[in-house]
Amino acid sequence: MKNLLLFTFSLISIISMSQGLLPTSDIKYMDGKITNIEKLAKKNDLVVISLWATWCAPCKNELDAINEVYIDWVEETGVKLYAVSVDDSRTINRVKPLVNGRNWGFTVLLDTNNELRRELNSPSIPLTILIKNGKIVYRHSGYTPGAEYDLYEKIKKYK
Amino acid sequence: MEKILFPLLIILPLIAFTQNKGLEDKETKIEKLLSKLSVSLESNTQIYIDDKVLGDFRDPIPSFNLQDKKTRSNNYLNIDYRIIEGLTVGTQIESYEPLPLVSYYPGYKGTDITNYYINYKNKKWNITLGHFYEQFGSGLLLRAFEQRQLGLNNAIRGGRIKYNINEYINITALYGNNRIGFEHSKANLFGFDINTNLIGVFNINKIPRLSFGFSYVGKYEDFEPPIDIYNPDNIFDDTNFPELVNSYALRLGIDFGKLFIDTEYSVKGKDALFSSAALGLPKILEGRYFDGSAILLTTGYTVKGFGLSSTFRRLENMSFFSDRELSKPGANPFGMSNINFVPALTKQQDYSLANIYIYQAQPQLYIQNFAGQSGEIGGQIDVYYSFKKGTAIGGKYGTKLTINTSYWSLLDATFDQVNNQYNSELLKFGEKLYSDFNFEIKKKWNKRLSSMLFFQNMTINKNLAINGLYMSSNKELNANVIVAESIVKFNKGKSIRIELQHMSTKEDLKNWTGAALEYVFNRNLSLYITDIYNYGNDDKDKQIHFFNIGGNFTKNKVRIEINYGRQRGGLFCVGGVCRFVPENTGISMNINMLL
Repeated sequence: MKNLLLFTFSLISIISMSQGLLPTSDIKYMDGKITNIEKLAKKNDLVVISLWATWCAPCKNELDAINEVYIDWVEETGVKLYAVSVDDSRTINRVKPLVNGRNWGFTVLLDTNNELRRELNSPSIPLTILIKNGKIVYRHSGYTPGAEYDLYEKIKKYK
Repeated sequence: MEKILFPLLIILPLIAFTQNKGLEDKETKIEKLLSKLSVSLESNTQIYIDDKVLGDFRDPIPSFNLQDKKTRSNNYLNIDYRIIEGLTVGTQIESYEPLPLVSYYPGYKGTDITNYYINYKNKKWNITLGHFYEQFGSGLLLRAFEQRQLGLNNAIRGGRIKYNINEYINITALYGNNRIGFEHSKANLFGFDINTNLIGVFNINKIPRLSFGFSYVGKYEDFEPPIDIYNPDNIFDDTNFPELVNSYALRLGIDFGKLFIDTEYSVKGKDALFSSAALGLPKILEGRYFDGSAILLTTGYTVKGFGLSSTFRRLENMSFFSDRELSKPGANPFGMSNINFVPALTKQQDYSLANIYIYQAQPQLYIQNFAGQSGEIGGQIDVYYSFKKGTAIGGKYGTKLTINTSYWSLLDATFDQVNNQYNSELLKFGEKLYSDFNFEIKKKWNKRLSSMLFFQNMTINKNLAINGLYMSSNKELNANVIVAESIVKFNKGKSIRIELQHMSTKEDLKNWTGAALEYVFNRNLSLYITDIYNYGNDDKDKQIHFFNIGGNFTKNKVRIEINYGRQRGGLFCVGGVCRFVPENTGISMNINMLL
């Protein structure tokens, strides 16, 4: 147990030191085209990636909440949001009907075998990351009501 | 415990390195190193406590129980290092110390380097040596993946090449052996997969997607004919024994924009089958080998504010294991060594009482068990609808409705148990296993208050619901679940969530009720209290409260969850895959962090 604690402590001590790598796992657009986060980050200075799933209630709440203000965000900061679904083959068929049923106005991508999710080490979702000029500048897991405003504050900070 | 030192040996030099800040060039070196390094840790620790009501803590695995270890921890450390652009090496170290959490696969014992790989990637090529995860199509033939909550990791160790011919055609070829706990399967897997989007290939502009895919999966495992010790003259005839199982899948998908259709047809090659456990020790059936098949058809229709999707699936003898021995009835309670992935196509619910009775897919073939079973057939329908803002139901903010319904039954088949043969119907539904109707309405009343109402009515084969195994009988379990939830938002990110649940059923443990209260201080910290109460249990002593209190703390790259309470026993399912967990009480701590 002592060793475990020491081990954990050692890890924490180096956590604050690094930027982290941008993930390169293949993810797909809804039409099957392949891309990855590194490529998406090159298309826009300011990018938000949100990992979600059709079975995750807080994820849907977060994306619903962002959806209501997304047009304003884009206008004011030029940010682009990619909502990456980690639904596996059990639930993937719900993605498109749900996205349209809820009128989401951002791009939705697919990480069906959870390779991106693993690369981002995100056992719990939602996970939101903000990428500025190819570097992860902010990361947050979980969603609480109103957290979209905090995210927007961060986006404005890095505008 | 000593093995814990191993990962430390990797990490400590790094730390020592980082603490030496005397020289500037050294510091930039460190920065350089760290910018290429990605480290993450997930740690799930549990302290089990003897409980006055449930009794003393017991591990269902006798040898573990003897060790009497009440503090257990499952840990996963990932280290990836990008040597140069495109070239990455990485490893996963798993540590289950001093023993794995209760009800995990007992082969997870101690600490080991479980996965390692080297990967090269450029625009066209993606080459991996070592461990990798993969999925062909919808996974009906092959899916290597990790699900830590269930203790599943069937990563393949070997080699994989992916090649993108262009934006529209990509191919994958792989070879290797599945992980089984800390070991690897003896069976060799060969796979090939091609995916094309024909709109790019033939330059079609009218529709967004016309996709075609083909997969091959081969499994090879040596076979030593068993020797009959009572009658050595009785020699097992291994002519035509399928040491190599060849499987194929075809996929076709078309998307017209509003309407989409996806189909997949898979054939699993002839494979060996065991006799029933009810007839003594299960033995491989001599000279009788069976192939399997799967049909999957999904259609959807979506316009703004409305979405509909329906899925039909027929599975016949589609369990596919790398180790033949693990397909033996009763030999594989932890679901190890799967090559393919056949989840239950029902809706995964969020609320605890809607997760007591769960359907699990029935792809397996048993000729001699009870009346026999050869697969399942059924489907589900999902509807998403947003009532427009400004209408009577929609109100100022709009109202969202979600409906799901599903029906699953055994494949209709006749069994000749004496001669080990069976005959299945193509599209005829046999004995009913499960049906479900559920809906969810979400409404935002004003800036601060929003509510949700959920209702579910389900019917399930009773033994399947309780023990996870289908048993032919007329006994069905019918249950109704109702959940109401409200969230009130305050200023500065504070909010309260209140949830009330009820489940009524005349079978098994009968009625339950439940409640949850969650207070969010800000986006970094929240606390909760939950309770579910089996007030309807016939046995007064078993009318137990499963009370839990806990909290979540998250900041940047760290997430910590602490919980104290009593856990309900039974099937614990994630994504339609289940494992059996005994009732227990304790403190759990989950830590997740990223470098």
